[in-house]
Amino acid sequence: MSKPSKNATPLVDMKNIEKHFGGVVAVNNVSANLYAGEVVGLLGHNGAGKSCLMRILSGAMTPNEGVISVNGEKVELKSPLDARDLGIETIYQTLALANHLNAPSNLFLGRELKTPFGNLDDKRMLEESRQVLHRLNPNFKNLLDPVSSLSGGQRQVIAIARAIYFNVKILIMDEPTAALGPSETAMVSELIQELKNQGIGIFLVSHDMHDVFDLCDRVMVMNKGRNVGTHHIEDVTKDDVLSLIIKGELPGGWTPGKKEAVQ
Amino acid sequence: MVEFFAQLRARGASFRLSKGAFHRISAILTVLILIVIFSVASPAFSSTNNAMTILLQTSVIGMLGIGLTLVIITGGIDLSVGSVLALAGTVTGLVIKAGVPVLPAMFIGVAVGALCGLINGFVVTKMRITPFVATLGMMMMARGVALELTGAAPVSRLGESFSILGQGRLFRIVGEGPHGLPSVVFPGIPYPAILLLLVALSVAYLLRRRATGRHIYATGSNEEAARLAGVKVDRTKIIAYTLSGALAGLAGIVLMSRLGTAQPNEGVMYELDAIAAAVIGGASLMGGVGTIGGTIIGAFIIGILRNGLNMAGVSSFIQQIIIGFVVIVAVYIDQMRNRR
Ligand SMILES: Nc1ncnc2c1ncn2[C@@H]1O[C@H](COP(=O)(O)OP(=O)(O)OP(=O)(O)O)[C@@H](O)[C@H]1O
Ligand SMILES: [Mg+2]
Repeated sequence: MSKPSKNATPLVDMKNIEKHFGGVVAVNNVSANLYAGEVVGLLGHNGAGKSCLMRILSGAMTPNEGVISVNGEKVELKSPLDARDLGIETIYQTLALANHLNAPSNLFLGRELKTPFGNLDDKRMLEESRQVLHRLNPNFKNLLDPVSSLSGGQRQVIAIARAIYFNVKILIMDEPTAALGPSETAMVSELIQELKNQGIGIFLVSHDMHDVFDLCDRVMVMNKGRNVGTHHIEDVTKDDVLSLIIKGELPGGWTPGKKEAVQ
Repeated sequence: MVEFFAQLRARGASFRLSKGAFHRISAILTVLILIVIFSVASPAFSSTNNAMTILLQTSVIGMLGIGLTLVIITGGIDLSVGSVLALAGTVTGLVIKAGVPVLPAMFIGVAVGALCGLINGFVVTKMRITPFVATLGMMMMARGVALELTGAAPVSRLGESFSILGQGRLFRIVGEGPHGLPSVVFPGIPYPAILLLLVALSVAYLLRRRATGRHIYATGSNEEAARLAGVKVDRTKIIAYTLSGALAGLAGIVLMSRLGTAQPNEGVMYELDAIAAAVIGGASLMGGVGTIGGTIIGAFIIGILRNGLNMAGVSSFIQQIIIGFVVIVAVYIDQMRNRR
């Protein structure tokens, strides 16, 4: 699964994506793809344009240029709802939680469970939330408190739970473990493995080289808005990736698969 | 007084009361304290008759306050309700004059209010004008239209049936007095108070049990998060402004019906009383927070203050000062509670 065959249709295919804010070019002619059952790590310095590229795929931001195809079909992602209808779920870097609402209300925001009369089914939403949250963090108790009073890690767990609860096919994780402790982080790694085995495609934005090398099949590095390289994880070393992140290019004399030769 | 609340707060916390419930309890206590003070100051205050008068007076502010609560929870504000009230009331009067029966005319009045609210919603969401400016504009336009339509004169002689809604009472009991004259045993519950209860129950149901209500809270709490979660933020706001307008229209009809004439000059500065009711009731102008129960209590605090101060012979200027003071204290207490 780690090297998908070249002729399979990618789950996601983004071509020549551009996004500018006034004079700032946040995403500069970037192309990227993602296959089913694959984890693609997205790395880059702060402000490289990773979140912008991901937000474009989740329908939260409209690109100035570029074409996005899902399962080989060209799609228009005008709103987060469009993306969601295609099975694209996102864990935003900002978490995107409504602070005054509790965990179940946030988890089901925009797709509330309802009784046959169309009333909110808070009881069932609480029960379901309890299950999915406990899976990620067994100590999660205060489900009825507004999320503003929860810890950063608990908030992140809600954001993750929200993305995996529904029928996800393409998962975007923008620094999903930034606020998590070691055991929760391990839980998320396990989760990524499991989702991957189910054939879900994952974009994982991270600054943690260790996680990326553990979990990803391919890495893609962005530098100043450009895609400066997409490589199979076996073809590069951490130093290669670091060089891509910082300088925007591979070290001199690099050839694919050099990793084995060095070791 | 502040210490007293602080103590109460500590006790509330030990009982693990939710913030909202605690706010409600301290507000109800305030109502009770006011009633005791005013009863001592003037014996007539605590009569059944006066209690019904307060109910009547509070109904209009209560309805406006409920509409404003919806808008305030979304993080907006509606300054136009006082003028919309006047416009809806005068349109109803004019339509009746033109020969339309009372009930359909009243529906037309509510529809006019809803239309004003709908326009507010569009200006706020589609034209991206801040709610303060958008509804300030509507405040002037609605008042202008009301004055223009009527030539600034009251529309009177609307017939008896027009007054039933505002002046009628349920369970009014009239017995026979000592000299064979009729004497009122129970003055009856004013229809406007019953209407207020119905409105409060339906809007509370909307906020607590329906997805639209949840989206109203989410929009005010974090608009961007709500949008990313797939909430139709613009639609949610438009619903809130439209309901606020419709309730202002309803309040206008109730008020004009009580007065028996449709007056284009009515309702000036009512928006401020309504905002005060919502804020005293715990709604936050930052959005995301507010309840109908709280707003009703807030409306009663203002209604009782006005009525009690009137009864005690306090001038309307001093009343302004006191109510202004109460609003600031209420919000201050609320902020301290949240800072904890
Ligand atoms: N809404 C916006 N308005 C204006 N400029 C923006 C906006 N969003 C992002 N940018 C700019 O686009 C560039 C890329 O930002 P982006 O958030 O994609 O970076 P990133 O790679 O995710 O960084 P980080 O690692 O810090 O999360 C930055 O220069 C940023 O200032
Ligand atoms: Mg980012």
